[in-house]
Amino acid sequence: MALKDVMDTEERDAYMLTNEAVVRAALEADVKVVSFYPGSPQTEILDTFEKVLPHMDDLRMEIATNEKVALETVAGASMVGMRSLTSMKSVGTNVASDALYSLAYTGVKGGCLCLIADDPHCHSSQSEQDGRWFGYTSYLPMLEPSTPQEMADMVRYAFDLSEEFGTIVLIRTTTRVNHQSSIVRLGPLNRTPFEEISWKENRRPYITVGEAARQAKAVLMDKIERMKRELEGSDLNRIVLFDGSELREIEGNEEGPSIGLISAGPCYLYSIESLMKLGTPMKVMKLGVINPIPERLVGEFIKDLDRVIIVEELFPYIEGFVKGIAKDVNPDIEIIGKGSGHFSEALEYNVPIVTRAIAGVTGLDLPFDHEAHLEKAGELASILPARLPLFCAGCPHRATLWSLQRAIRDKENLFLANDIGCYSMACLEPMSWSDSLICMGASMGIGAGAQYAAKEKVVALMGDSTLFHAGLPGIANAVHNNDDITLVILDNAVTAMTGQQSHPANPKGAGGFDARKIDIEGVLKGLGVEKIVNISSYDAIANIRKVKEAIDHDGPAVIISHQECALYHFRNYRHRGGKIVPFRVDKEKCEKAYNCIRDFMCPAISIDEVDGKAQIDPEICVGCGVCARLCGYKAIGSTAVDMGGEDRPYIEVDDYMELAKGGGSQTEKEEGVQKEVSE
Amino acid sequence: MKDPFNMITCGVGGQGVVRMSNVIGEACARTGLNVLSGELHGLSQRSGSVVIHQRIGKRAISPLVPYGEADVILALEPMEALRYIHFLRPGGTVITNTALTHPPGETSELARKEIDGYVSYDEVVQNIREMGDLIEIDALDLAIEAGNALVVNTVMVGAMTALPDFPVEAEEVRKAIEVSVPKGAVDANLKGFDLGIKAVNE
Ligand SMILES: Cc1ncc(C[n+]2csc(CCOP(=O)(O)OP(=O)(O)O)c2C)c(N)n1
Ligand code: SF4
Repeated sequence: MALKDVMDTEERDAYMLTNEAVVRAALEADVKVVSFYPGSPQTEILDTFEKVLPHMDDLRMEIATNEKVALETVAGASMVGMRSLTSMKSVGTNVASDALYSLAYTGVKGGCLCLIADDPHCHSSQSEQDGRWFGYTSYLPMLEPSTPQEMADMVRYAFDLSEEFGTIVLIRTTTRVNHQSSIVRLGPLNRTPFEEISWKENRRPYITVGEAARQAKAVLMDKIERMKRELEGSDLNRIVLFDGSELREIEGNEEGPSIGLISAGPCYLYSIESLMKLGTPMKVMKLGVINPIPERLVGEFIKDLDRVIIVEELFPYIEGFVKGIAKDVNPDIEIIGKGSGHFSEALEYNVPIVTRAIAGVTGLDLPFDHEAHLEKAGELASILPARLPLFCAGCPHRATLWSLQRAIRDKENLFLANDIGCYSMACLEPMSWSDSLICMGASMGIGAGAQYAAKEKVVALMGDSTLFHAGLPGIANAVHNNDDITLVILDNAVTAMTGQQSHPANPKGAGGFDARKIDIEGVLKGLGVEKIVNISSYDAIANIRKVKEAIDHDGPAVIISHQECALYHFRNYRHRGGKIVPFRVDKEKCEKAYNCIRDFMCPAISIDEVDGKAQIDPEICVGCGVCARLCGYKAIGSTAVDMGGEDRPYIEVDDYMELAKGGGSQTEKEEGVQKEVSE
Repeated sequence: MKDPFNMITCGVGGQGVVRMSNVIGEACARTGLNVLSGELHGLSQRSGSVVIHQRIGKRAISPLVPYGEADVILALEPMEALRYIHFLRPGGTVITNTALTHPPGETSELARKEIDGYVSYDEVVQNIREMGDLIEIDALDLAIEAGNALVVNTVMVGAMTALPDFPVEAEEVRKAIEVSVPKGAVDANLKGFDLGIKAVNE
């Protein structure tokens, strides 16, 4: 997609990602206030709004410190009367849910949407959480689209629904919907100017406690009942017939097959494709509303069926409702789903999985022997080395962790409480090192318990974004209780793992506008941390001693490792005219000790198959120079010497400009732009 | 036209896989063709493996190509072509760039003498051939000829466009490239695209 598609006033077809379709549709619905915390698979909603923001003066946006603050922010705007939207990844909803349950009670005013993006298969999450329960247990309406177009339609509709019932509307997705691209019809984009609303004239209490809460609960239950009645008739829930060759409406008195299928989200798509492959006729119900479940409609659908197949990932959520409804309308129906053992509650589904299950139920032959095919392909591919996630070339975390590992010597001697971010990869090769990795901000809390219970020392890791997200309470706790933990804060200026968004310790806010940078050391001092050690991440050798010193301290100590995320830093560096000055291996000096490879694993370094010596790919190297410090034979040096410079890293623009005075950098800026786009 | 036409596009994070699929999607939107893609965004910047499923046609219903149904695998890196070979349909075509990018984990195993050598290009393509037809493209060479080493991915898109079954007209893909790449890079990209087509046709 391009920005032009999201902002174009022409009504036409555009190819876009579901996450971009959210933005487009919300803009069409005249959304005014948005706030997000990044997290896969919904981050592109934030990213796209950020791109739009500088072009739209009728929109307000924040990158919030966490999902709870984001939800509260959009709810606050909605209370006053503005349309607003937030979205969060599955586990982000856990953080926001305290506010969510209360906001269900108080209701809202301006259309207010909250997207919850689940991640079956844990592509990028800590758990396969099923966010559908948030809708059910909070009594909030929840919609679930299957495609980008449906998402666009639902977002527009949900704003109206939200205002009609004075409620937050939840939209639930899974990774395969968020990260699906297709053709979306752009609707009319008529933005209105941003005008503050008089609270005085719109004042009403949003309070839920004691008697107010008891009353609000009654109102809430009435609301969800009314919504159920209204949504029963909504065309978001559809019943169609697959007649063996195509999908069509059921004719007035047509009886159709006695087997049916109920599905929602991407599983609906897998189901239809499977039916087409098998050519087996079936009645199909697609649920677009997953809370409140349209019980009457489901009842009518299953009333005359002998068998119903329920295709849904994760919990048997729809299945539970269907079982309950069947008791009343058709107790003899055979319900095929997880309870019957046909489908798993783990991992995501796909067409082969659904086809196999339906073929099993209907007694049809599989159109293609996937098993044999997969086996042969698997064997052929078994010669391949794995390609696991890895710190980027020049990543400051790699250097910090290298120093930490050297400072400890033996990792048996400590409990390493990891946290969530790029540095989580400490648990993968080459460090293969972490004792706990739970959720954002957990390292200090886990550390507090471990330092009581374990004989060994406790070291906790935490990224700077995680620090502001949920880390500060754990630090206050450790200081207050004088817990013996050494915390390493990896200050790389951005929320790196999700795409380098800004956070409170970055001088820029949403859309690249100036914001107030919060000083991390100042925060820690304010919290009463007495032992603070600042290190510069790339000084890998010198840092060993400093890290040791902090760990030897009794009571809470914090090491702050400073160096910008390499992707972020060198992107800015290129934009401002800097050119990468890579390092290289002096083959004469390389003794194949491989210090630069073992325990370091920079993607720029490989082994020359001809002479077995290390080599550096100048296309990948960013010139951080850390590997040069690790080489005992001083075989690695900067190519800056060829330009008349010194044998050291050139990674700051001003510094580079001095160097470049002697030589030329012509096309790099242009190449940088292209590189950027292709990333 | 084969409906749906199924593609797997893959490579290593940072090679521009997403952009390749966006160009094709844009071309479909311009032509009025239905297109559906399944992507995974997230960890790709850290030299990880990237794969995108893309399906063109009226009968493109779900975003993921089922195992054994891809008409073509378009790979910016040969090992990645083999990694996703289970998606290729019997008799399908693999178009791969010839340059290997060895994962650092492999280098590390080599340094620790856990393996004798890197996996070789010949081994990789030999195994690919077991599953389908192979078209090899030295995309870097063609990109340099086009004037910019970074247009490797556009060269590969050109190569795919040259397949007889590919459902989008080359002219439409060219237009999509024009609007998708930075202004300063349009010429090199179009040149790379044409060289990719030529490489397959010759
Ligand atoms: C509650 C919650 N929200 C969002 C995420 C998604 N997420 C995973 S890693 C990460 C980035 C953390 O940033 P930081 O701590 O600065 O570490 P960095 O990636 O920069 O090293 C985020 C937001 C998550 N896992 N959990
Ligand atoms: S994105 Fe930044 S912090 Fe994350 S691995 Fe890459 S360089 Fe390191």
